[in-house]
Amino acid sequence: MQKRFNWSLWTGSILVLLLLVIGLIGPYMAPYPLDHQEKTRNEVVNGKTVIISPPLPPSSDHLFGTDKWGYDLLTLLLHGAPYTLFVTLAIAAGRVVLGSVIGLYIGIQDKPQRWWLAIENAWGYMPIFIPVFFLLKGVSINPLMPTSTLVMLFIGIVAILGAPSVASSIRQKTEQIKDTQYVLAATSLGAGREQIIFRHILPHLKEQLIIILVTEMVAIMTLMGLLGMFDLFVGGTKMTTDPVIYHSITHEWAGLLGSYRGFVYSNFTWIFLTPLLAFIVAVGSFTLLAKGLREKFEQTYHRTPFI
Amino acid sequence: MSYVKQLVGMFFLVIAVCGGPFMLYTVKEEIVFAPEEVVVRTVYLIQQIATGSLGTYYLGDNERSIAEDILPFAFSTFELLLSSVCIAVVASLIFGLFLQRFGMVRQLQKLLNLISTIPDFILIFLSILAAVSFYKLTNIRIITLSPTSDSANNWFPITLLSIGPTIFLMKVVSLKYVQIGGEDYIKTALAKGMGIWHVLVHHVYKNIKPFLLADLKKTIAITVANLFIVEYLLNVVGLTRFIFSKNAPYQFNSAVMGLLGIILLSILVYFLIRLVLYLFERAVVYK
Repeated sequence: MQKRFNWSLWTGSILVLLLLVIGLIGPYMAPYPLDHQEKTRNEVVNGKTVIISPPLPPSSDHLFGTDKWGYDLLTLLLHGAPYTLFVTLAIAAGRVVLGSVIGLYIGIQDKPQRWWLAIENAWGYMPIFIPVFFLLKGVSINPLMPTSTLVMLFIGIVAILGAPSVASSIRQKTEQIKDTQYVLAATSLGAGREQIIFRHILPHLKEQLIIILVTEMVAIMTLMGLLGMFDLFVGGTKMTTDPVIYHSITHEWAGLLGSYRGFVYSNFTWIFLTPLLAFIVAVGSFTLLAKGLREKFEQTYHRTPFI
Repeated sequence: MSYVKQLVGMFFLVIAVCGGPFMLYTVKEEIVFAPEEVVVRTVYLIQQIATGSLGTYYLGDNERSIAEDILPFAFSTFELLLSSVCIAVVASLIFGLFLQRFGMVRQLQKLLNLISTIPDFILIFLSILAAVSFYKLTNIRIITLSPTSDSANNWFPITLLSIGPTIFLMKVVSLKYVQIGGEDYIKTALAKGMGIWHVLVHHVYKNIKPFLLADLKKTIAITVANLFIVEYLLNVVGLTRFIFSKNAPYQFNSAVMGLLGIILLSILVYFLIRLVLYLFERAVVYK
């Protein structure tokens, strides 16, 4: 059978690669320094003096325009990119490692571990952003600790709170493989628990783990976006009190999206649309990659329905 | 007995989640982790409940009684939740199961799959943008963000809330449809000359139902997660007001009440949907 060209996989991987490159070199490519601010000024246009004041719309000087306070949006986005991408990647990796260790060791037990099943069950229905929001609220707004500590704390909390769902799918797969003939054969030949996990179960989970990693990245980005809606940004929120405005300290994309969300109702929609576009491209490329990978691995089992 | 145990467990889970801001905070650049403060707050909360009042909370600058507000708030949340989950179940049964064999419906599903690559909360934003520009173009108002306006615009939040669960549930149902459609008993039934409608109702639906029910809980969980966003962004006055109060400091009592209320409502919605499905079966499948 002729194989269909896997569009999702190819576009997804190219876009993700591009994003990773932007994440690595973005801050050095930024057209303006991070603290460059366009001030209100007078300019003579066609013999008339006009006041030019931010927000400036997209132009050749500012490709995506500036925000209300005169900061160049492209610069902010490029400086935020490493946080968005590598925090997401770190959390996803943490979840997969934690989840597979828990899932493998729980799944290989002879009896089902009821305490763990209870945790899995209860946690499955909890929208994860609520516990994360409550845990970080006291720490993250006008933070007293350095940004790096806060980012590490965020990574740790989100990785731990998200691990049970990963562990659940790994556990189910482990339980399936545990009952196969070759595992029985290995056991009767005297293989220990570690031997079975590393020689027989993990090789089967390889594909699954890659898919989980990418899907988790999508989930984490969505989570960061949701937290941004409630003014909780990765790496800390700077809150001014008069007027009450929330700024993202790291300029990470979900944070920019959250802090500019008010401009959706203004006449300066580009301030909101620019981070929105960046965020959609990021989430979309990871989703495409996940879809492509799934299609690649599932091609073998495809059946056509009779009706 | 096990139900009581589950309810008590749920109460403590809610307490643990809502106690977050007291458990983790910073003092002079050091992170303090102090779970014992939650115990004090919980004892205070239980004492208040024992005296017959639910306590007060701040809405903006006004102090209001929780007991007075919880019923109307719960009612509007309930309306949102139930209608959205209903839309999700009905739409996924109609388009994922009964009309799946038409090419046009499959195209519609492909479109939905494409849309589902965008996270739900961004879809909500995009719909607000679309509604605003629609108003600018045609002068027809679809949304009103003021909670004091007449509630004739209830359908907009309901529609937005139903996007997420519909996409999820339709994916589940149509995936199972494709799997079950390839089984031998479907082939046998068709070979015997049974009508398509008969096969769909008596073979496909009955086999999809367990999966539908298993994923109904997940569907409701997705709806609840989106409920926070919809109520927050569209200014719907509902139970999430107790949890995320704009312009007011964090309040433990009202957060616990709000979260408990939402969980109880989602259980109620689950059983109501089961009831609707049961009635559907009595009327159509086992008549």
